[in-house]
Amino acid sequence: QLLQLNSRKINNSIKKWRRTNVFFVYFNYTADIISTVEFNHSGELLATGDKGGRVVIFQQEQENKIQSHSRGEYNVYSTFQSHEPEFDYLKSLEIEEKINKIRWLPQKNAAQFLLSTNDKTIKLWKISERDKRPEGYNLKEEDGRYRDPTTVTTLRVPVFRPMDLMVEASPRRIFANAHTYHINSISINSDYETYLSADDLRINLWHLEITDRSFNIVDIKPANMEELTEVITAAEFHPNSCNTFVYSSSKGTIRLCDMRASALCDRHSKLFEEPEDPSNRSFFSEIISSISDVKFSHSGRYMMTRDYLSVKIWDLNMENRPVETYQVHEYLRSKLCSLYENDCIFDKFECCWNGSDSVVMTGSYNNFFRMFDRNTKRDITLEASRENNKPRTVLKPRKVCASGKRKKDEISVDSLDFNKKILHTAWHPKENIIAVATTNNLYIFQDKVN
Amino acid sequence: MECALDAQSLISISLRKIHSSRTQRGGIKLHKNLLVSYVLRNARQLYLSERYAELYRRQQQQQQQQQQPPHHQHQHLAYAAPGMPASAADFGPLQLGGGGDAEAREPVARHQLHQLHQLHQLHLQQQLHQHPAPRGCAAAAAAGAPAGGAGALSELPGCAALQPPHGAPHRGQPLEPLQPGPAPLPPPPPPPASLCPRDPRASAACSAPSAPPGAAPQAAAAASPPSSPAPASSPGFYRGAYPAPSDFGVHCSSQTTVLDLDTHVVTTVENGYLHQDCCASAHCPCCGQGAPGPGLASATGCKRKYYPGQEEDDDDDEDAGDLGAEPPGGVPFAPCKRARFEDFCPDSSPDASNISNLISIFGSGFSGLVSRQPDSSEQPPPLNGQLCAKQALASLGAWTRAIVAF
Repeated sequence: QLLQLNSRKINNSIKKWRRTNVFFVYFNYTADIISTVEFNHSGELLATGDKGGRVVIFQQEQENKIQSHSRGEYNVYSTFQSHEPEFDYLKSLEIEEKINKIRWLPQKNAAQFLLSTNDKTIKLWKISERDKRPEGYNLKEEDGRYRDPTTVTTLRVPVFRPMDLMVEASPRRIFANAHTYHINSISINSDYETYLSADDLRINLWHLEITDRSFNIVDIKPANMEELTEVITAAEFHPNSCNTFVYSSSKGTIRLCDMRASALCDRHSKLFEEPEDPSNRSFFSEIISSISDVKFSHSGRYMMTRDYLSVKIWDLNMENRPVETYQVHEYLRSKLCSLYENDCIFDKFECCWNGSDSVVMTGSYNNFFRMFDRNTKRDITLEASRENNKPRTVLKPRKVCASGKRKKDEISVDSLDFNKKILHTAWHPKENIIAVATTNNLYIFQDKVN
Repeated sequence: MECALDAQSLISISLRKIHSSRTQRGGIKLHKNLLVSYVLRNARQLYLSERYAELYRRQQQQQQQQQQPPHHQHQHLAYAAPGMPASAADFGPLQLGGGGDAEAREPVARHQLHQLHQLHQLHLQQQLHQHPAPRGCAAAAAAGAPAGGAGALSELPGCAALQPPHGAPHRGQPLEPLQPGPAPLPPPPPPPASLCPRDPRASAACSAPSAPPGAAPQAAAAASPPSSPAPASSPGFYRGAYPAPSDFGVHCSSQTTVLDLDTHVVTTVENGYLHQDCCASAHCPCCGQGAPGPGLASATGCKRKYYPGQEEDDDDDEDAGDLGAEPPGGVPFAPCKRARFEDFCPDSSPDASNISNLISIFGSGFSGLVSRQPDSSEQPPPLNGQLCAKQALASLGAWTRAIVAF
């Protein structure tokens, strides 16, 4: 049943979601599987990275004053090749060009900056606009050919004339050779000068201006690799405290570290861990407890973690258990064996907060994604698909039938398509606009404003 | 939770995943392979426990004088699955060869039990070694052992054979060997919390439902052997059933058994040492009586030949409990781990021999995999002066060859 909602309180409830536009930018090329999605701080720009190492940036149209009921649509703003495949000759390893994460810097001037990373190298990109160009050179023709100086009879001062908007992306910094293992996270500090990068076993601290060195602040590599029991799966700086960051592990724990305590933050300040329920023990307990994403709330008071079956909200002041737990697709618990066979159990789902920290969102299978309202405790399942969804159609809530008699419009667990997975979602920082990435397509939805 | 696959299939699937990850673009994914190794360990634990349980049950049935109803039901095992090879008929090389009367069977069964037990002790030992700083649930693991042991005692009174090769207790786990009748159990440590923090060793112990509150009552119940059967879910059950690994010695604690697919040579390596080297250098308890005899010098003599077709012969030839048994080549080292895993896939599934080869590489630890890691430029820990550099290099070579062969 559709939720009954108060349309006045836009930010505090789940609205009927209407699709504004669908981008079929990515077709069925393997190289173009979307691997990360991120809004910038104002929400005007939306960046996506793909498996082929490309970054595509969308820009929101300025609000049309006449059609004030609709927020602007997103159009392609810039496309560039961020990373190329590389080969490490020393170790005989191919380095994938897939973009693992993109993080925007807050805007300081006319240009935009973002960090993008693959498994080994982080790059700082400057995206700038050019909408005028100089014309009227004395020694050059308009097409660039040099004029014979002897033919110059008069002098003129070149002037800037408008031109078609051109968006240029140029790499300003390349932070390389600091990670032995695969980078899974980058996070920009609230000081806007430093950032961290995390791989499976180590976390490094960088300064945005300095590329030839970084500080190692966490190292969990055991002296003997045979003793390895857990890896780092995600890391993030606190949104307000520039000395605080967290990192999650494959064992389902989150450690909060304070960089003021010591140079090497191997000893955590806080350890967040929920004891395992022994009745749920199975072959795959370790896999499904591995945390795939950790995100601070905008307020900085809470953090959210995603493991295979659930989303958990933690209060930073309470370490022994989460304050809220939401089951994303509990009906998969009995299917873990098959999901292990087809590798789906290793899928790393991300999660995100809305701007007011009242709703959290994460993806699932069959192109479903889920939203949980923390205040009303209601949840909704929606689908991102091309069929049955023309632009401006209201999305219909979905329901999965776990067992028993399937009602009309319900989908049974066995007919879920596990190849259609939504791993990456993003929520506009200020408005109810969400970006949802299926394997090859990006969907942007916004709520219906009455 | 029901699993549609049995332990054996899970192990083979997991090994295939690890194998295929080596050829994937972008290098080995450490995280994924670590998770797969956990599944491997869980499935292996279950498999071992079930084999062990079945053998115990057989032994019980053979000992007619003790009227103990068999308590080993597979449905008690946490990971019981419908397709599990539960029947005695399906035990491959562990099957007792031929007919023979109960008496003839008994020592063989005991011998096989003992080998399996030693294998498991190695595994336990390694796990203990891997978790030197237990978080809260170490007590649980220790508690789960005697608790499970207490329960298991009531179920396995006939396992007099299950004596550790060396009776000394190990590292503060003062478990007595299993004996029929009431055993002087040490007082169990305080019962663990009912929900244990996630820890590979502890969580296995915690999976025994008897562990949390029942530790104390079960210790008391152990006084009378025919007590109620312990609700033995798998890892906790068999962990308790065995005495703690005695004194294989600290230096033998993390072993890797490597099969060189080129030469079919099996080498047991630990912490970068060749096992026979460290045994030569000191009185290694796991090698029996001190230093082995001659034959250590040659590198080829250090290794043991493995011929896939000779599994049964090897099993029969091994002496019970004699880790110092001399394989052809004349150098003693621990063969039991390898032997057990090659017994693993007795019947020919299409790639059984491949899987058994893979299994022998992953007999313990993670090094078989991570040697291929980007960080593999780091050498194994420096060898002590008593070891022959040539032998050390030979061991590295075996590693490299075995791994590259994949």
